[in-house]
Parts: sequence; C-alpha cells; structure tokens
Amino acid sequence: MNMTPDLTRLQVAQDGETDIIVRRDFTHPPARVWRAITEPALIRQWMAIQEFPMTRCEMDPRPGGTFHFEWAGADGNSFFFSGPVEKVDAPHHMTHVEYFNGDPAMRATITTDLAARGTGTRMTMVMRYANAEARAAAIATGMTDGMEDVYGRLEALQIPE
Amino acid sequence: MPALDQSFAALADPTRRAIVARLARGEATVQDLARPFPISQPAISRHLKVLEEAGLIETRIAGTARPRRLKPDAVEALWDWLGQYRALWEAQFQKLDAVLDGLSDETDQAHSDNPERSTS
Repeated sequence: MNMTPDLTRLQVAQDGETDIIVRRDFTHPPARVWRAITEPALIRQWMAIQEFPMTRCEMDPRPGGTFHFEWAGADGNSFFFSGPVEKVDAPHHMTHVEYFNGDPAMRATITTDLAARGTGTRMTMVMRYANAEARAAAIATGMTDGMEDVYGRLEALQIPE
Repeated sequence: MPALDQSFAALADPTRRAIVARLARGEATVQDLARPFPISQPAISRHLKVLEEAGLIETRIAGTARPRRLKPDAVEALWDWLGQYRALWEAQFQKLDAVLDGLSDETDQAHSDNPERSTS
C-alpha cells in the first residue's frame, strides 16, 4: 500500500530557484477532479473569491487552446490570469502558460498532474517562473489578490497599531 | 527585519503591495515607481518610507540617484509569514472538494469517454 501521508490540506513549497510546488489530495478519482479544473461551469463554483465576482471564466483544455480567469476587484480594478494551453493528456496532465494581468514579466509555466491514489487523486502543480526575481514578484503579488479577504477580516478585528 | 506584524501592516495597502511586486523584479527609482500610479511622487515617497521602516525595502546610494530595492531576506520572510494565511488557498480547495462531491458517475459518463472508475 501507499505509505505517503495524506495531503488533505494543501502543501505549498518553494523548490530550487524558480519553482513553487502545490500538492493536494482529493477523495474523488482523477476523471472527476479533471472535470472540476477544466469545465468553466465547475471552475466558477470553486474559484470565486469572496467579494470578488468572477467576471470571465474560459478554459479550452486542448493544445493550442487558451484560458482566461478574471475577477472584478472591489474598486473597479479587475485582475486576471490568462494564457495558452500547451500539453493535455486528460484526465492526468496539463501544461499551460499563465500570465498575471497579461504582463509578460509575470509569466509562469504550470504543469498539473492528477495521479490516482487509492480511490482518490493526488494533484501536483509545479509553477515555474523565468528566474528567481520573477518568482519573488509572484510571491509579492500573490499576497495581494487572494489576501484581500484576510486583510478585510483583520481590519474588522480592529487590531491596534 | 522588524516584526512581521509591521510588514503585514505595511502591506495592507494595495499601492505598497504593487511597489513591492515591482521591486521584486529589480531596483527602481522613485520616478520609475511613481509612473504606473495616479498619485504624486511625494505620496509614493511616503509609501516607500513605510516599506523601509517595515524592513521590506532599502535605499541604495548611487551617485546622486537613490534607487530602492527589496531587502534580500524580505521575500523569504514574507513567504514564511504567508504560511500562516495559507488557509485561504486551502479554503478554495475545500470548495473544490464540495464541487467534486456534487458530481456523479452519470455526469462523468456524459463528459468523458474514459471514465476513471471500473466496476471490477
């Protein structure tokens, strides 16, 4: 039997100079996880960020296809991830290129692998940046968008200066 | 590096987060940093002062120029500190779990020629 511990909560790690690796286990088989990460109607259900409606959700999971995920920010600033799909081997593998807000400097190549693990799936995502600086910029911005919620909640707590 | 709480407070402002992201890609002058923002150069300078006091950035003296840059250990410290708030990402994956729970074998069949599950 597989003795690796369950990753029922996500694990995120920096690897080498340029990579960020995300791992997470799911209790459903790869075919089903594949659907949830490639069908726009399903993607919308879990990628919506509280307070930021998802205004565009497109995914064409074929080599030569593209994707575009966009959210409307609080102050009218939208932000988006988009790029070309390069390699697809459904329901186990996809490689795509992701730009943040269309900025060529904010480019990552993302490989997603869904491996059967018992009756479930282990997802491994490797986000590879052009160099250490680009990864640092992604970390600094990564704090930004998903973090609004946290900042909002902390503000509500009124922590003294 | 000062307390991470101070970094956190410094980064509560979206303009300052954008400045940090820009500096992660290399040093820049106040003029360079001010360009993308619809605010005055003195306002940018005030943001830079907050970031500097929080230990996230530093000023290099190059002749008459004063380019700002990210402190070498700032990104590592932010990364470590972000770990505490990774719950947010996890919350998204928990929503994905719920989406998966809502799918059925029948709809899998309708969407895939190669259903993962066998009856053996």
